[in-house]
Amino acid sequence: MRLLLVEDEEKVVDFVQRGLTAERFAVDVARDGVAGLELAQSYDYDLIILDLLLPGMDGTEVLRKIRRADRQIPILILTARDAVHDKVTHFEAGADDYLTKPFAFAELLVRIKALLRRGATRQETVLRVGDVELDRLSQQVRRSGKRIELTSKEYSLLEYLMANAGRVLSRTMIIEHVWDQSFDGATNIVDVYVRHLRDKVDEGREGNLIRTVRGVGYAISDKEE
Amino acid sequence: MMNPGSIRFRLTVWYAGVLAGILVLFSLAIYVGVSTFLRRNLHGSVVKDAQEVGSIVRENANERDETAIGREVGEHFSAESNERFVRVLAGDGTLIYSSGSDQVFPPWSNSSSDWAFEMTHRPPGKEEVLIWTEPVLAESGKRYFVQVAASQAYNNDVLRDLLGVLLLALVVATAIAISGGFFLIRSSLKPLDNIASRAQKITSRNLHERMPEHNTGDELQQLSVSLNRMIEKLEESFHHISRFSADASHELRTPLTIMRGELETALQDQSTSPEAREVLGSVLEETVRLSKIVDQLLTISRLDAGEASIEVSRFDFAELVRTTVEHMRLLADEKNIPLRVEAADAVHVEGDRYRLQQVVVNLLDNAVKYTPEGGSVNVKVGADGDKAVLTVTDSGIGIPQEAQTHIFERFYRTDKARSRQMGGTGLGLSIVKSIGAAHGGQVSVQSAEGRGSTFRFEIPRSSVSADAGSASSESQAIASAKPIEIA
Repeated sequence: MRLLLVEDEEKVVDFVQRGLTAERFAVDVARDGVAGLELAQSYDYDLIILDLLLPGMDGTEVLRKIRRADRQIPILILTARDAVHDKVTHFEAGADDYLTKPFAFAELLVRIKALLRRGATRQETVLRVGDVELDRLSQQVRRSGKRIELTSKEYSLLEYLMANAGRVLSRTMIIEHVWDQSFDGATNIVDVYVRHLRDKVDEGREGNLIRTVRGVGYAISDKEE
Repeated sequence: MMNPGSIRFRLTVWYAGVLAGILVLFSLAIYVGVSTFLRRNLHGSVVKDAQEVGSIVRENANERDETAIGREVGEHFSAESNERFVRVLAGDGTLIYSSGSDQVFPPWSNSSSDWAFEMTHRPPGKEEVLIWTEPVLAESGKRYFVQVAASQAYNNDVLRDLLGVLLLALVVATAIAISGGFFLIRSSLKPLDNIASRAQKITSRNLHERMPEHNTGDELQQLSVSLNRMIEKLEESFHHISRFSADASHELRTPLTIMRGELETALQDQSTSPEAREVLGSVLEETVRLSKIVDQLLTISRLDAGEASIEVSRFDFAELVRTTVEHMRLLADEKNIPLRVEAADAVHVEGDRYRLQQVVVNLLDNAVKYTPEGGSVNVKVGADGDKAVLTVTDSGIGIPQEAQTHIFERFYRTDKARSRQMGGTGLGLSIVKSIGAAHGGQVSVQSAEGRGSTFRFEIPRSSVSADAGSASSESQAIASAKPIEIA
């Protein structure tokens, strides 16, 4: 998969490129709008990550020009501008996703993968992590065949973690997906719910299936620590 | 009806007072002028008559005896038709001639004066008279006195009438001045009332509005222009401040993004030692919190500047509260805090669902956070008149009296160490206040230290008659809606 990153802030370029390369993406970088547009028109990228405040040509203009030529390519806007009308404007101009800085790298990754999957919206009905099985149709969770009773919030939380198994999810991402962003003010809501979920899922077992990653968030994986 | 302190009242009083004063002075001048003129006129004619009679006396003094003098005077000077009283006395005071009743004159006292003189006298039961006494020296050396008296009745009548007319004019003119002045001032101050009521309606949320500037060239136009200039400056600085907050937040975001990204990458690196990982994780946590503070500051400054576009829809606030509380119930369960919800029937409001949910979340989070294990939290939502009211009552630590007015201020913390330890940004209640204000409502608190607090959040209820269908799909910036006051 080949991605284009249009971003003028050197250090942002640096860690995004490193992180994406580590995830086996090929990343080309353009440091201003004109170069970004040229690259986008010259090569066939799978996805474009576009900053808005760019030297040369501003990101909005780049977005419009790319869209005029190509209706298909997924474009993710990555910007510090978070006003609602900015989002609306850019979605209308043809952006596929909009992520505001500062962001959790994990979130950028989740969104990139979601955009690349788009079209092929096949969703597995049964998710498995280790011996935990989550059935999306019956909304039932079993561990080693034994049924675990969950509240609806706990179920949503587990489903989100399992759908992104092996990946660290930030608290913000969890809040936005399981609750919604307006719950951001609830100080430790994610921690409390994860603790309860963990109690139920890991009941009577050694080790945690749901890991806490200090400063970042939570992840579920069968590689127990 | 009239306020004695109002400009209208004071101006009218001054106006009428000054006018009355001027009229009094003017009347006085007329009165004195006329009275002097009449007196001088009378004096002149009396003197003239006396001199005429004097010359008759002088002509006849030598040839005839004194009775003849009297007769000559009587024949040549018709006192009656001139409305004069004439008397001629010999030098020793003997009466030689008198035109009518002697009683007009005061009794002759010894007067050896060689000079003519004037006097006034009031005969009993009659009008005052002016008397001119003219000494006459005959060629023979004999002395006579000619006295001519004229009644002042006419003069007094004229003056009395004049006084009456002047007084009447004074009263009428003053009355006209008061009423005319009052209406004049009222009508000229009416635009001032308009300006005042317009100015009162201007708040931080509709600073783009201006006073009407009628092109009259008068002081009121000047006032409108100056006010508008002031509002413009206010608007500029207000925008400047919110612009600054926005720019500052924006500028803070880039370094925060880099910090966060670098820290996450370093944490991913398997070669990082567990000790370093711990430190990096801790720094990352603070970075995330800092990002959150920046975000919330920006949100508040946008809300306060009326710039945040708010998605307005009509929905049941009670239902929103119920579901939001359910989504957070575990927070209370964990601390063994019974969380009760009293939600009345549907309470429809027109507002931003997302923002109002934030209000519920922040108030509830606060209540649970500051209530020790085993306490209780009650949430109540219902209608109170035309308001939708949410109250969150806890049995927590409460808020000291002196802190209660400050808790809605940005970054205000009653117990700094404790609340920071609890996490949070110190902006939760400020956001609640700003959201309340943006919806034309407000938030208040009642608290007793050690016994708990009650937060009351209220916003206007959407009118029952409002058509649900047309309102619900509408979405608009709330700033452009009806004028909203800041709580």
